[in-house]
Amino acid sequence: MLALTVANFKMMVRNRQTTFWALFFPLILVVAFGLFDFTSPDVSRVAIAGDTQTPFSSQLAEQVQGIEILELEEPPPGVEEGRALIVEGDLDFLVVIPPGYGESLPAVSPGSGLSRQAPVKLISGGESEERVRLVEGIIRPMTDAAVLGETSAEQPETLLGERVETREAPYFDIVLMGLVGMGIMTHSIISIAVRISNYRNLSILKRMLVTPLAIWKFFAAEVTAQLLLAVIQAVVILAVGVAVFGARIDGNVLNLLPVVILGSLVFLNIGFIVSAWANSPAAASGLGNVISFPMMFFAGTFFSTSTLPWLLPYGAEALPLAPMITALREIGLHGATLWDVWPQLAWLAGWVAATAAAAVKVFRFS
Amino acid sequence: MSEAIRVEGLVKRYGSFTALEGVSFGVEEGEIFGILGPNGAGKTTTLEIIEGLQRPSEGRVTVLGNDVLKEAKKIKARIGVQLQSSAYFNYLSLLEILRLLGSFYPHSMQPEELLEVVGLSDKGKNRVDQLSIGQRQRFTVAASLVNDPELVILDEPTTGLDPQARRNLWDLIREIHSRKVTVVLTSHYMEEAEALCQRLAIMDHGRIVAIDSPDRLIDRIETTYTVKLVTADPLTSDQQHLLAKSATLQKSEGGSDSAADESGSYVLRLNKTPEALNATIDRIVRSGITLKHLEILPATLEDVFLDLTGNELRD
Repeated sequence: MLALTVANFKMMVRNRQTTFWALFFPLILVVAFGLFDFTSPDVSRVAIAGDTQTPFSSQLAEQVQGIEILELEEPPPGVEEGRALIVEGDLDFLVVIPPGYGESLPAVSPGSGLSRQAPVKLISGGESEERVRLVEGIIRPMTDAAVLGETSAEQPETLLGERVETREAPYFDIVLMGLVGMGIMTHSIISIAVRISNYRNLSILKRMLVTPLAIWKFFAAEVTAQLLLAVIQAVVILAVGVAVFGARIDGNVLNLLPVVILGSLVFLNIGFIVSAWANSPAAASGLGNVISFPMMFFAGTFFSTSTLPWLLPYGAEALPLAPMITALREIGLHGATLWDVWPQLAWLAGWVAATAAAAVKVFRFS
Repeated sequence: MSEAIRVEGLVKRYGSFTALEGVSFGVEEGEIFGILGPNGAGKTTTLEIIEGLQRPSEGRVTVLGNDVLKEAKKIKARIGVQLQSSAYFNYLSLLEILRLLGSFYPHSMQPEELLEVVGLSDKGKNRVDQLSIGQRQRFTVAASLVNDPELVILDEPTTGLDPQARRNLWDLIREIHSRKVTVVLTSHYMEEAEALCQRLAIMDHGRIVAIDSPDRLIDRIETTYTVKLVTADPLTSDQQHLLAKSATLQKSEGGSDSAADESGSYVLRLNKTPEALNATIDRIVRSGITLKHLEILPATLEDVFLDLTGNELRD
């Protein structure tokens, strides 16, 4: 069986088409997504917190609403709540206004010379430098104007920028995990479907049956070689994403392995089913694409499925690619353990069992 | 001599269609046994049941003393099989394929040695798709020998080959036979069966219609002589009538070249008696036919087949 696994692997590597679909196609997408800058969406979400009762704050709110690229989030959150929103990636900027900003200052404490108004804070998360400077540029004239009337001495700093670490990974990192799932899915389904269909056309399956080889070993070797390739695929795609485009992987990379293997198994089973339906390798390839392409979009490789209308998000979540990608993202981007993603793993295992049963039922040797 | 294969009352049904209707025969150890018949006669089905690829609906098959249904694995280790139009893995070299196939058996032959037997020593690093059709066919025979089998089953080994490649393959089959290997092959070429086989089963419509040595099969039939004639003009109905008195007359279709539009090409089959032969020649002379060509041939297996089934073999 080892000999057969090695032979299978050799054949796959020598088949240039296989290599293309397994590695270069997902890599092309990695490069494409890496080159586009998805980090500046058109509109930044801004919230005002702190002392929101002053005339200054309502003036600021009015100003923000008047600017096209800014969107004011209402009602104003508490400071801590706003921070949390930024960390989660649900808010881009939080403006914290100190108490009584822009109003007459309390009595100047003796000896200090000048009274200092505490500055306004601008808290931002994962937004680009340019965007942060842009927003600062919009707000600073207002904060300056609000205090200038009061203190005529040297200009104090009226706006203080602060960056917080966001939990939300950059879009590229999210897509990268999606591409790992997509690459493995496309390749597993199409490669096995075409290979088996080809074997059947060439009577290779029959030829195996007339040898004393137990036929389960033939399929086990086939699957083992494919799984090996799936792991290599994942490693190469992630390596390019990290090394070339600076993606960050927070979680334990080894935890990704069971997800990759379970996912690949589901898609290999689907490939076996496709090969049973298709009468030629070309038909198998077409049918494989018909199955994998919609899944690639619906299961959230590129976009969140929650934006789908009606019941579709639930349907999309049920597809085997969705839990695979979710688990990859949870582990890779948020450092989840295998235990944390058990619902996804269980769902995948269910798919493995169901598709295996179906594959055994529909499979034909000739 | 003991039997390498014993087939007893084999019936195979696919739904309402019956592919085999009670086939029985035995193959003796060390012989070349042929199964001859047109496409759809049931040759491949018979072989696939012997190889353990299909289950019979009825009947019993013993191969090398083992029952095919009970001891398939034992049998598979001792026989070599070449399937009809079977190619091999695309992305492996010939040596790699032979090594891989060998790994499935408890005991296997050296890949290099196998390639030498089939005359492909210099192609070991090539892939199957880089071979000519003849070489490919020789390679599939080599692959069937990978476990040094006692019995080799070849399904239409020469179909699709040009005459030269076919003759090369015949030599190869004789070479295998000389190593004391029993050979079973199917064919729809009469001359192949005549040239190679010691015994022959003729199949048609899922039955064996005759089984014997090629010579004795030919001896058995009545129409021994075949007279082929090409005439300058098509025969008139009177002339046809005259000739048909001592023989069966057929207008032959493919026999004449296309230039001879006006001429006719005919085949007469007649009894093997000298009287019939003399009478026929006499009638040809008397009828005033202008002959362009005349051939008198002994019977072939082709005639045997026609005699037994009433059909041409190559349809």
